[in-house]
Amino acid sequence: MAEDPIARARAAGRRTLTEAEAKALLETIGITTPESRVVEGVDEAVAAAEAIGYPVVVKVSAGEITHKSDWHDGSGVALDLRDESAVRAAATEILDGLAQTGVDGAILVETAVETDRATELILGAARTPSFGPTVLLGLGGVVAEALDDVSHRLAPLTEADALEMMDELRGRVLLDGYRSQRPVDHERLATAVVSLGELLVEHETIVEIDVNPLVVGGGEPIALDALVVLEG
Amino acid sequence: MGLDDLFDPAGIAVIGASETPGKLGHDAMANAVAFDGSVYPVNPSSEGTLFGERFVGSVGEIDGPVDLALLCIPAPVVPEVLEECGKAGVGAAVVYSGGFAEAGDDGRQRQSRVEALANRFDIGVLGPNTSGFLVPGRNLLCSFVGEVDRVDSGTVAVIAQSGGVAHALAFQAQSEGYGIAAMVGLGNRVSVGFEEAIRYFDGHPPTDAIALHIEGTADARGLLETCRAVETPVVAYIVGRTGVDGFAASHTGALTGDWDLYRAGFKQYGVPTVPGTTTLLDSARTLGSQPRPAGPNVGVVTVQAGPGIIIADRLCAAGVPVPEFDEATADRLSEYLDGLTYAANPVDTGRPSPAFGDVIETVARDSGIDILLVYQLYEPSVGYPASALDSVAEQLDMPVVLATDGPEPGVSDAIAPLEAAGVTTVRTPERGADAVIALVEYVRQQRRLQEALPDG
Repeated sequence: MAEDPIARARAAGRRTLTEAEAKALLETIGITTPESRVVEGVDEAVAAAEAIGYPVVVKVSAGEITHKSDWHDGSGVALDLRDESAVRAAATEILDGLAQTGVDGAILVETAVETDRATELILGAARTPSFGPTVLLGLGGVVAEALDDVSHRLAPLTEADALEMMDELRGRVLLDGYRSQRPVDHERLATAVVSLGELLVEHETIVEIDVNPLVVGGGEPIALDALVVLEG
Repeated sequence: MGLDDLFDPAGIAVIGASETPGKLGHDAMANAVAFDGSVYPVNPSSEGTLFGERFVGSVGEIDGPVDLALLCIPAPVVPEVLEECGKAGVGAAVVYSGGFAEAGDDGRQRQSRVEALANRFDIGVLGPNTSGFLVPGRNLLCSFVGEVDRVDSGTVAVIAQSGGVAHALAFQAQSEGYGIAAMVGLGNRVSVGFEEAIRYFDGHPPTDAIALHIEGTADARGLLETCRAVETPVVAYIVGRTGVDGFAASHTGALTGDWDLYRAGFKQYGVPTVPGTTTLLDSARTLGSQPRPAGPNVGVVTVQAGPGIIIADRLCAAGVPVPEFDEATADRLSEYLDGLTYAANPVDTGRPSPAFGDVIETVARDSGIDILLVYQLYEPSVGYPASALDSVAEQLDMPVVLATDGPEPGVSDAIAPLEAAGVTTVRTPERGADAVIALVEYVRQQRRLQEALPDG
């Protein structure tokens, strides 16, 4: 994406980046995201899936839809699509939903990342009036969310701070390869946390970032979804 | 705005001083007269003397140096009196009354006027809405709470957002015989806030540690940076765990509350945080009076097994190591203890024998021990192993904490000389462990801050 995604969202009068824009921003700070295309039509969605290679994930792409999996009876996210007909059906449903709700949006097609035995995390950043830029790291998934298992730091932060955040999680054993889980590379994760903090420090117009889930199935952390909220 | 006029004045005007017991202007004057310097009761409708000091009609009529005014008057007249103070060259004021920013639009407007006057005349205003401050070492008792003169001089400066909490801490210290270097209730923080007070007490000779009570500030980042910049160790108690701001549009935003950020930020900026007022004082006293340990390893010596187990359990749960002793230590300990009790760490000595002091010194000299924590139930017929504790504190330059319980006033009398010799004493096994935990946290945080600096 040659164009600055923040400037583009601003120009369009949006407070949130689309998932594709948010992921492009993450790529600029070295956080990996699945290979993806944003397309307008069903045939293009199929072509994108063929080009990327199955299995793929198809999602609705629109800045104003921040909770995609809840959108339009759950048609906003279709996981693990293994052939053309599955992609065609998912893309059609999204276009129908956009037409019915009058939302200006598109279709995001991306590689389905292998999440078996991987650890789901939430990585985030928030700017507050009193503290300025801050970051958050926590365990992802429904159970961890329910337990509110997160750790915070002020940004900018050091790698040592980021490693300490992992130690503070009650579920930290899950990062070390608990039972059949694949262990998380702590240093690479720390780098991602530090970078996200720097992103918030550098871009004063960003108030919140959600990378949820950030999946670590071995070496590098991969951002499967991302939300960037700009100043109102 | 320097704070010398507030915390180190030459003379004090008590404005609204009253002859009627129970009135704020009476009770504040009753405390203020203890001051080493001049104290002037100011009230245009009173004559004669109050606590031996002659009434003056207004602050402008005082014949002598007055740096500090205590405003014992209702909120509506505060602005005009503050202006009089400014014109009379008074450099600092305490505004006790409520009815300002905490009390609706009228209050907020009134506070803005006070703020403007403070800026115009460069007056350091403590409050409004505070019960004041104490510097016991100078008999500077600028509070309207009765019998604050009982609070002794000590080593910890207490800076509390709430005047009530500030007094509670001062009296907790008093009831255990420890005293404080200063106590300040900030209230509404018109011009004296956390940062100003922390910087002042960083340069206050009797203060060896600063204890903070925080409910929330508009500029938390500035507060954290001030704490990191000062040399005096700071400990913080943050209240408000249950309150989360409603600004969030994202998951992250919803999970990011001020309490969590204070905790995280203080850890990052080198300030241990504690869960209550008791631990706040204990930790600050320990940080103020003990040397910085070379490492986090604690040797625990206990006369009674149970309290020693509580201590070791609490230390380990907090990630503070209670390591095994080296071979030489283990050999010497089994010699002293004759195999009767537990000679590993924690060492259980049984009821003190003549070898008790030797056990303490042996543990302290172990190659892997950085901090000594002793628990003893006080028995008047046996006493404390004072010479062993003193020599460890002096010769090994090692932190020494004694946790103890026992009959009063026996314990208080017996620990006083230990405190004077540099041993930090606390009641109960848990408080002993918590004080050491704060010390270890502080040292770990400071070391990480040093490592994070570009070239040391």
